[in-house]
Amino acid sequence: MMVHILGLMLLWVHLFAGIIWIGHNYANVVQRPGFRALRPEDLGDEQSPTYMALLGREHGTFRYAAIVTWLAGVGMLWQRGMLFDAVTLRGYPAIIGTGFWIGTLMLLNLWLVLWPHQKKVLGFVSAPLEERVRSARITFLSARVNTMLSMPLLFFMAASQHGIALFA
Amino acid sequence: MKSPFDTATGTIALGLLLTLALYLIVHSLVLGG
Repeated sequence: MMVHILGLMLLWVHLFAGIIWIGHNYANVVQRPGFRALRPEDLGDEQSPTYMALLGREHGTFRYAAIVTWLAGVGMLWQRGMLFDAVTLRGYPAIIGTGFWIGTLMLLNLWLVLWPHQKKVLGFVSAPLEERVRSARITFLSARVNTMLSMPLLFFMAASQHGIALFA
Repeated sequence: MKSPFDTATGTIALGLLLTLALYLIVHSLVLGG
């Protein structure tokens, strides 16, 4: 009984944190579908409306939700005894294993590409104005890469439970 | 420089293509279907 409860809790946490993370990403796509280049004066003036709007956005919760999502996902694979086969893409666990690797890539993209550049854009890390403007383009592309990656990720997650026949 | 990621449609189109490509790879190469 406890094993089932643990499995359910991990899935619950995985979905909840995942929605916070990817929901943040999708909200950005819906609200700002196209790239709007920043101008040096947007970032150079700390009172500019654009800079104030950037600062006012949420910058923390979704990054930690991404870690929680990843940990809960790994926990689910471990709890089901398929972590090794999934990660090494052996047999049918390769379906969710593909999701695991896509999710890992997304987590690394968020923490190692998007966030370091976002810190420059926001001025949390000092950088020349031109580099801050350039970093805004990189954060946009990094976020959109995760939007793109989320599509196969969700497909493989769903297929591992409901679409095994597609892979037979 | 413009990229397909500059529009929501382009991003979703790339996501669909990547999904199809990965499905075919996992289906044929990994599971040998």
